[in-house]
Amino acid sequence: MKPAPFEYFAPETAEEALALMAEHGVEARPLAGGQSLVPLINMRMAQPSVLIDLNRCPELAYLRGEDGMLVSGPMTRQRELELSETVRAACPLIAKAMPYMGHATIRNRGTAGGSLSHADPSAELPGVALALGAEMIAGGPNGRRTVPATEFFFAELTTALEPDEMLCEIRFPEAPAGSRAAFAEVGSHFGGLALVGVAAQIDLDSAGRCTKAALAATGAGERPTRLSSTEAVLTGEVLEKQSIAEAAEAAAGDVEPLEDLHATAHWRRRAAVAMAARVLHEIADEAGTR
Amino acid sequence: MTARREVRVTVNGRAYARNVEPRMLLVDFLRHECGLTGTHVGCAHGVCGACTIVLDGVSVRSCLTFAVQAEGKEITTVEGLADGESLTALQQAFHENHALQCGYCTPGFLMSLTEFLRETPNPDEGQIRERLSGNLCRCTGYANIVSAVQMAAQRLREKGGVS
Amino acid sequence: MSVPGDTRGTGTWVGRTVPRKEDLRLLRGMGTYIDDVPEPRGTLHLAVLRSPYAHARIRTIETAEAEALDGVVAVVTGTEVAELIPPFAGDYEKPGFKMSHRPALATDTVRFVGDGVALVLAENAYIAEDALGLVFVDYEQLPAVSDVEEALKADAPRVHEELADNVLIEGGNRTEGFDEVFEAADHILRERFRINRVAGVAMEPRGCLAVYEKSDDAVTLWTGTQVPHMLRIGIARYLGWPESRVRVAAPDVGGGFGPKMYLYPEELLAVAMAREYRCPVKWIEDRLEDFLTTFQARDHVYDVAVAYDDDGTVRAVEVDVAVNSGAYSNYPMGASLEPFQGPLNMPGPYRFRQFAFTCRGVATHTCPTGAFRGVSAPCVTMAMEGMMDRIARHLGLDRVEVRRRNLVRPDEFPYVNVVNQFYVTGSYVECMDRALEMVDYGGYLAARPPERLVDGKYRGIGIAVVTELGGHGAARYKARGLPDLPGFDTAHVELEPNGRVRATTSFSSQGQGHETTFAQIIADELGVSIDDVAIRGGDTGNSPFGTGTFASRGAVVGGGAVMRASGDLRERIKKFAAHLLEASPDDIVLEGGYAHVQGVREMHVSLYDVARAAYGLTESMQLPEGEEFGLQAIATYDPPASSISNACHIACVGVDAATGLVEVERYVVVHDCGRVVNPLLVKGQIQGGVAQGLGQALFEEILYDAEGQMLSATLMDYMIPTALDVPTLEMEHIESPATDNIGGFKGAGEGGVIGALPAIACAVGDALAPLGANVNRLPLRPDTVLGLIEGAEA
Repeated sequence: MKPAPFEYFAPETAEEALALMAEHGVEARPLAGGQSLVPLINMRMAQPSVLIDLNRCPELAYLRGEDGMLVSGPMTRQRELELSETVRAACPLIAKAMPYMGHATIRNRGTAGGSLSHADPSAELPGVALALGAEMIAGGPNGRRTVPATEFFFAELTTALEPDEMLCEIRFPEAPAGSRAAFAEVGSHFGGLALVGVAAQIDLDSAGRCTKAALAATGAGERPTRLSSTEAVLTGEVLEKQSIAEAAEAAAGDVEPLEDLHATAHWRRRAAVAMAARVLHEIADEAGTR
Repeated sequence: MTARREVRVTVNGRAYARNVEPRMLLVDFLRHECGLTGTHVGCAHGVCGACTIVLDGVSVRSCLTFAVQAEGKEITTVEGLADGESLTALQQAFHENHALQCGYCTPGFLMSLTEFLRETPNPDEGQIRERLSGNLCRCTGYANIVSAVQMAAQRLREKGGVS
Repeated sequence: MSVPGDTRGTGTWVGRTVPRKEDLRLLRGMGTYIDDVPEPRGTLHLAVLRSPYAHARIRTIETAEAEALDGVVAVVTGTEVAELIPPFAGDYEKPGFKMSHRPALATDTVRFVGDGVALVLAENAYIAEDALGLVFVDYEQLPAVSDVEEALKADAPRVHEELADNVLIEGGNRTEGFDEVFEAADHILRERFRINRVAGVAMEPRGCLAVYEKSDDAVTLWTGTQVPHMLRIGIARYLGWPESRVRVAAPDVGGGFGPKMYLYPEELLAVAMAREYRCPVKWIEDRLEDFLTTFQARDHVYDVAVAYDDDGTVRAVEVDVAVNSGAYSNYPMGASLEPFQGPLNMPGPYRFRQFAFTCRGVATHTCPTGAFRGVSAPCVTMAMEGMMDRIARHLGLDRVEVRRRNLVRPDEFPYVNVVNQFYVTGSYVECMDRALEMVDYGGYLAARPPERLVDGKYRGIGIAVVTELGGHGAARYKARGLPDLPGFDTAHVELEPNGRVRATTSFSSQGQGHETTFAQIIADELGVSIDDVAIRGGDTGNSPFGTGTFASRGAVVGGGAVMRASGDLRERIKKFAAHLLEASPDDIVLEGGYAHVQGVREMHVSLYDVARAAYGLTESMQLPEGEEFGLQAIATYDPPASSISNACHIACVGVDAATGLVEVERYVVVHDCGRVVNPLLVKGQIQGGVAQGLGQALFEEILYDAEGQMLSATLMDYMIPTALDVPTLEMEHIESPATDNIGGFKGAGEGGVIGALPAIACAVGDALAPLGANVNRLPLRPDTVLGLIEGAEA
């Protein structure tokens, strides 16, 4: 488990990085936190001949509020998303989901853009981005383009990014006042690899009625999955035991899980239902509607 | 083989400069170029945490970082925690609580927990276990590590300082 | 315990909680594990090209491109290696055994994914791995079999063509009169238990460094092993060298657990290449190789039948054991270890008098399997305790009552059980009763609703009463017909010229704490502080011959050898001290680093002065008449066949009704390993053993597909317990010292894992019992458990 040789560049600006991407094309891979890419390189399952290290581009690491959006640079560390007051205020779902990503030492190095670009189907941030309706700003030789989260994740480890593109910015809509967020996930044991998770942000009116529901499941398909049926069942309802049970059960029809060595497809489906129920109960408890 | 690059780092307060291939992992650089073999390789894919070091003030997996990425940076390894023969409060608590058996994973735990105790001086057991879950130990069953962290946290609070 | 003529009486170290001496270097990053051993100049790095197929014929190997790579010194194929290293074997010519030979690298056929086919020697490990990618092998893929039951079928692909079938080992026995008793019992229950294949996953993978010693034409092999002396025997035998030309030394070893007690091909390759190329050769295993090639364990199927009466008394037990042995049997334990250890451990603490077993070790196209903490005991104990619970459920009796009726009772010791295990002392009923009290068994049952569902979790409690056969002596290995396992161990203890004590033993340490526990024993024998005792071992170049570290042997056999040698030394020290003090040796007491005359403390001499005299470092002659210069003693110790510890484990679990995820919420152990050397370390062994058992019970599993491809070769695919999985044990000791071995010690290394499998499996079985779910296979992964819940509901 030693990496194959590669050529290494450490650009200091985004522009320089994009120019290197254009120059080296499909041979090149941008290196963000490296927490997913470097294991593959060590195992020689990935053998890029050029690595473009983004860790020396300070301009790619930022967090700011802008026109009702929480805007993150691709190199913003996951640990910062977890601890930032800006994030907690603007998008509490992100702050709630982050502690579930890897471990603190992984989040110290792992980045927002890295996790989203890697597109592991069971990763937390892609699920959160999908639930929140985030926008991905891709940059490449032809400039920038905006890809909605719904069109960003294609399949396992495959996104809408072209080989010469990289994720340059992520824009998360700020949570409306009165909304509540929760995240839950389950693995085959405690503290290890997550298998299935659900991210939820529910807008509630003053009567505690759901005016808008946004849920996405991770690990229950080849990409993160929006739980549209759950959302439909919930909208207009007060979150209480019966409505939650019905809404969570509806998730079973939204997901298309695959079997792998960790779990059967059936279990992943039931786990998605269970996690949907768990997040909705947590929100109901917080809102006092249950 | 690709062109070597010079890597200059400060490890535990001492400057090192070596010419290495870009593909050299930071953990190999520390162990084989700097001779600091206290940092261990347990999996080389980022799961076990045995290679955890502190890079520019935060704990990272040195098996998931290339040496060239550390150019110009400050590193602390397990060898840099204590002065000479002495032990830090955390190391001393590991000793008294029998929080290590084979000792192979221990440096990674110490590096991660030193950061943790700085950030979380008064942790509860749940927080401790959550933090510990990022490092794997096959010998101890973790209970004594939990006790060691509790003891170290208490002593550090009483001393009003960090390790 | 006291030994006749014992004059120690000053012992204060054994039995005390003492933090470990070895910690001080390990905590400061100053340990020396295998990859930390300084590399001599010119060290070449060895890498092994491994088969991607479970079963294939090697047509051709193209090495030219790899050889041409800068920094590559040599590429050597299996055929070339065969000229230096003949195929080696773990088994012997005897009835029921078939010999399977393993070439150090495959010559014409590969038999599992990971089997080596060629090696590269290069300037560094990066280049060596580059070169592996440039060796091109043309394979002819052949049908493979990975499952033990498939491999038993008549038309199964054969793993070793020269053998008639895949059964490497078979055996069995039946007590006289079994059939009549079995038939006459009131009831018979049958069950099939399937036990998952697991991996040891020591945090430090394997590795070795072979250093060629030009002047002696010899090789020093540094290697992360549990058994340096056994390796030297094997290496010298297979390379045809005298043992004087092979030194095997274990540095600090980052976890053993069994898989590191074997001779591996890489060790033979490194030694042979070091001599061939006259330079140091280093091989460091990576985690992928560890999962592919380090010997694995378990993967058993048990068919059990229990005959019992209306009152729950077990009359007879029958078991058939099928063990997946993998592609080869391993030196020095062979393929008989797991199949025969199962039946041997099955009766455990129970007193039934009729037992029948058949067992087989079956070759498949998978990684070889072998010893892992507890060997078969955790699995077969799960089967036995599982049957106890089934009997209780069937008869409507409490599980505790069924066990109580069958346990060996306090007044029955010494007891010889149905498979001739000699239980000299024990506390089976006492441990169970105390554990039940600690967990408040009655309160637990009373508080639980009939459907056992509380807060979305099914609550269950599991009880396991277990024995731990360990500390085996020569009698055990000779009974099994293992020629290359001596069974005894040796200690050499000396009072050094400066008055400090140094001891070397035939043990190597993988975290057990020998530097502390052996020092405690010696400190009591010699009346010194453990700070003045240095323990070394694990190096055939400077430690005496013996068997090694496995099977909970440390305290019993190592401790016994250390006790005997230091006892002998004590008597010699007394003679020197008596001479200096002009007293009789019988009146000398050793205490606090001094020898003094009993009852006259002011008549004393320091051990420093005794040592100076004994080593001739005095102005005048101080040698007592009839004594020789020097103060040292060497002694071997061969204990009885086994020293048998016991324990009761109780696990309380919550099974999430929606996901099937099992949480171990509480875990109680009452443990009896005889006389305890260091309670802190014994507790550590049990907590760690339970953690490994918890992993196996709930989620660890090495998975192969039907074609023999391994699916779980990383720590993301094969998961081990984290700090969030394992509760802190509530633990107490009862001490029933062994009276048939020198120290009164019994082993403590394996009991934790032996108890955890049955306790947790029984707890999950109990939680789901109202649903009628049958818990008879491991691991109890969430999807499996959810299936049990839903299957029962359907």
